[in-house]
Amino acid sequence: MDFLIVLLVAALFLVVAIWLYIAHQGDAEIAFLVNERTPFTLVEKTQDTAVFSAQVPFINKGTQDGIIMDAYTRHLLPREQYDGVAVVSRLELDNAPRDDGYFEAYIVPIGTGRAVIVTVKLTAQNGDITAALKEMPDMGIDIVYQVLGRTPWYITKAPRIVMKQAEILTAVGDLG
Amino acid sequence: MAELGLIPVKTRILTDSDNIVDTIEAYAKDDIGPDDIVCVAESVVAITQGRMVRPEELNPCFLAKVLCRFIPQKGSLGSVYGMQCVMEAEGKWRVLYSLIIGMFAKLVGKSGVFYQMAGRQAALIDDVTGTMPPFDKHLVFGPDRPNEVAEEIKQRLGCYGATVADVNDLKRALIVGLSKGLEAKRISQILIDNPFGNASQRTPIVIIKNYRLVEQASAAN
Repeated sequence: MDFLIVLLVAALFLVVAIWLYIAHQGDAEIAFLVNERTPFTLVEKTQDTAVFSAQVPFINKGTQDGIIMDAYTRHLLPREQYDGVAVVSRLELDNAPRDDGYFEAYIVPIGTGRAVIVTVKLTAQNGDITAALKEMPDMGIDIVYQVLGRTPWYITKAPRIVMKQAEILTAVGDLG
Repeated sequence: MAELGLIPVKTRILTDSDNIVDTIEAYAKDDIGPDDIVCVAESVVAITQGRMVRPEELNPCFLAKVLCRFIPQKGSLGSVYGMQCVMEAEGKWRVLYSLIIGMFAKLVGKSGVFYQMAGRQAALIDDVTGTMPPFDKHLVFGPDRPNEVAEEIKQRLGCYGATVADVNDLKRALIVGLSKGLEAKRISQILIDNPFGNASQRTPIVIIKNYRLVEQASAAN
């Protein structure tokens, strides 16, 4: 009987020790620092299109390395709100730019980070982007990303980016 | 006197729709002679065999979630999915037993015991990010029947020999599969500087030119 009790206590001790070890080890925690993003700047403008981009930093503030397996933008401009432009958006890593919309899985070591470049292309439905931008409302953009750390993968969203009309007009004005 | 030469062969991205022997024939047949050895990257052989899985397709067990915590994150088994893959390939109790023995071995200063005991897949599984797009979001197992693959390459291409190898820039050249008559240690030495390059160079095939002639000359001396 005593032996069984000793065995039980030892097993309990082992379980608690492993649990404490895992809890202390923690996991990756990847965060997009939306408040630290750069303003949208004009990359290209034609008669009917305008392309803007901004950099959004991210960091792994957890206690383990993490992987961003996938990341993409989700722009939110329903036609009920405004149908003057067609929107295409994408993101890419700042150190590995690519224009195919593919996000290559990226390891984010503890305490480090980089930035993604969010690119938004607006095409005027009536062929005149300058006129269309004057009417355009603020537009929300979500960064949706899939994280893999020590625990099973999950998909989450960064705090919403708001691409403000004033910001767009300033950027277009910057072109002169 | 003939000299050893290393010729990397560039291919398109290979998928599970490809046959590795057909691919070597299509891309390198004219460069391969009877004195040469054909080497092919193990992860590419595995991909052509369809031996990869997405994390989303796996359902990690409790043991995988716990045991992965005892593997450094730099290793593929440090992720819950890498651990689940090796458990499915080699058996979960074998992995548990190997990990416990490996931990005790480490306490007495002997490392690598876990990988020796846990089965071949423990050392060969590539975690997410371990392979180039579009397989960067997959875990890739080691190849199936690598010796048979090497033998098939040798027979079809008429070369002196063939090998399936896991080579990286960290001076690791592990011979995973070999056709009959070749010495793994010697091939490993030749491949140690990673003539396959990195994944983005897309050269999963390397031809070792004049291998037989050089080995014969060296044996004669």
